[in-house]
Amino acid sequence: MASEKLYEITAYTENQVGLLSAVAGIFTRRSLNIEKLLVYPSRIEGIHKFKILTRTDERRVKAVVAQMEKKVDVVKAFWEVDSERSHKEKEAVEDFLQHRENQSKTAL
Amino acid sequence: MKDKIGKKLSGAEILLEQLLVQGVDTVFGYPGGAIMPVYDKLYGYLDRLHHVLVRHEQGAIHAAQGYARIKGEPGFVMVTSGPGATNVITGVADAMIDSTPVVVVAGQVTTGLLGTDAFQETDLIGMTTPITKWSYQIRRAEDVAWAVSRAFYIAASGRPGPVVLDFTKDAQTGLAEFQPCHCDFIRSYVPVPEVPQTAIEQAAAMINAAERPFVVYGQGILLSGAEKELGDFLDKGDIPAGSTLLGLSALPSDNPHLKGMLGMHGSIASNIMTCECDLLLAVGMRFDDRVTGKLEKYARQAKIIHIDIDASEIGKNIPVDLGIVGDAKQVLARLTPLIEKRRRSAWEHRNEECDAVERERVCLPEIAPADGPVNPGEVIAAVAKATRGNAVIVTDVGQNQMLAARYSRFSQSRSFLSSGGLGTMGFGLPAAIGAKIAAPERPVCLFVGDGGIQMTVQELGTIMQEKTGVKIVLLNNNWLGNVRMWQELFFGERYSCTRLLNPDFKMLAAAYGIRCENVESREELAPAIERMLADDAPCILNVHVREESLVFPMIPPGKELDQIMLNTQDWYSYGK
Repeated sequence: MASEKLYEITAYTENQVGLLSAVAGIFTRRSLNIEKLLVYPSRIEGIHKFKILTRTDERRVKAVVAQMEKKVDVVKAFWEVDSERSHKEKEAVEDFLQHRENQSKTAL
Repeated sequence: MKDKIGKKLSGAEILLEQLLVQGVDTVFGYPGGAIMPVYDKLYGYLDRLHHVLVRHEQGAIHAAQGYARIKGEPGFVMVTSGPGATNVITGVADAMIDSTPVVVVAGQVTTGLLGTDAFQETDLIGMTTPITKWSYQIRRAEDVAWAVSRAFYIAASGRPGPVVLDFTKDAQTGLAEFQPCHCDFIRSYVPVPEVPQTAIEQAAAMINAAERPFVVYGQGILLSGAEKELGDFLDKGDIPAGSTLLGLSALPSDNPHLKGMLGMHGSIASNIMTCECDLLLAVGMRFDDRVTGKLEKYARQAKIIHIDIDASEIGKNIPVDLGIVGDAKQVLARLTPLIEKRRRSAWEHRNEECDAVERERVCLPEIAPADGPVNPGEVIAAVAKATRGNAVIVTDVGQNQMLAARYSRFSQSRSFLSSGGLGTMGFGLPAAIGAKIAAPERPVCLFVGDGGIQMTVQELGTIMQEKTGVKIVLLNNNWLGNVRMWQELFFGERYSCTRLLNPDFKMLAAAYGIRCENVESREELAPAIERMLADDAPCILNVHVREESLVFPMIPPGKELDQIMLNTQDWYSYGK
């Protein structure tokens, strides 16, 4: 899809068992890959925060955010185009994979 | 009830006490190992809680759905763990997509055994999370009243839906002090969003500027109780309307603004008017693909306003010019005073040319043929005539459903019950049981095919035991009729695996002690229907209908709404 971008979705939620799986299911059903996921206590007492990075288009990110907000235990959800992508993790994984590949060559 | 408040009770008994607090008087259920402590306590509550013992858990949930849809209150289901729980899943998915309030309590193994693959353990929360409004595992007796109260609140409020409670055995046997709960607020959940006055004013301005407005409404009208508000709105603006499958009976069939059902097997007029309107006002419906046909071409000439209580529906399928997230009854009540009272005579009569074509080319050949075998639509029209539109009409899924939607007549709201979104064959028979229990004073007529009835036919046992006066009209053509039709029309007449060799339904009915009449000819039909409706006892009419039956008009899947088949050869074109 031409208009696909990385979007950052933020959701403020109650701290309930099973909510992670409920939220993940919204992405699975639409065949959307979660590129990055953070779940942690927000600065609001008793409220947790999800940060999710996904590659999709604007129409679908809106639908995903609406479905997240529809969950009883989700307080609010937002989306924005990700502007500050961190390359550090990507580099680390690339280094790791390169390292593994080197190891496999040595083993042969 | 009062004497139990403040007492130490088992979780099982707290469940039953809290059900009474919720106003529950009917339980659709099936006992089993992991729910036995509740069934044991239920023994002392059977004078206040009517337990309907179904023959399969799928029957329990469909019956609860039928009960909920006709009564307008949540249906309640109780089953055991493992297979008992997985057997309700089809109905839970059905209730989710058709916005039906049901609360399911399923037994679960004791907490210490969770995750050990214990006997009849299954991850019910994991399985039902995507198809429920809320699912929760109760692990302590202290949480029972709170969870049950929350479950009923969530199921019934906002856009209704199913809730599953997974009730561990030790929470059932554990003791806690009983305090009734009354949940009517959850901080993270806003069931009825507030609508700003500016949105109402903007909608009114768009309606007043429109020459050819058209209303498409769905089950949201019934769910919010907006039947009168919709009627008043249409009267004041002189605005025509079409109904979705699940919106049927929200307006009486003889309402002059109603131009028929929308979509694939809807009326020609409602689909053509969707294509010709300059403003489409959608209320309490969700633009299902069976309603819209080819999405990219749907009502592109019109401005679109979408009113729905579920924010995630706005813009989901159809881009809209104005979305209003709110309750249909409240929004229509605020909108009507702001719209101009006017006559739109030419536009209001646009349907007449379409209706004439439909009547001559489609309806009369179906419901009034000169000779030949009995048509299924003919049976439905005859029942509509005999019941004068006062019956609750229940359908299964397939040709029986589309024809019942087309040829039934409704004089009051909450009179049509069908599995719309999920299209669950086997829904009809148990749903009709629930409907009759919800409205014992009304005739309940089920239209079902020979395929669908056999998916849940064991519920004849429930009818026998409960003496539920359901009138079962079996449209028997010895085929899986709808799939056979698609094979004829779209798959080169390759009738792959759709021929049925059926049992003798009269003998089957006799085994359950249910009266059954076979109807083989047109002459037998009307008298048999009269006899069926003469009393309130359960009855089956096994009508041998035309085997190669087809349902028209039809907009083939993926086509635009003005591409309407009148029969196997001819397509609708203006005036022909």
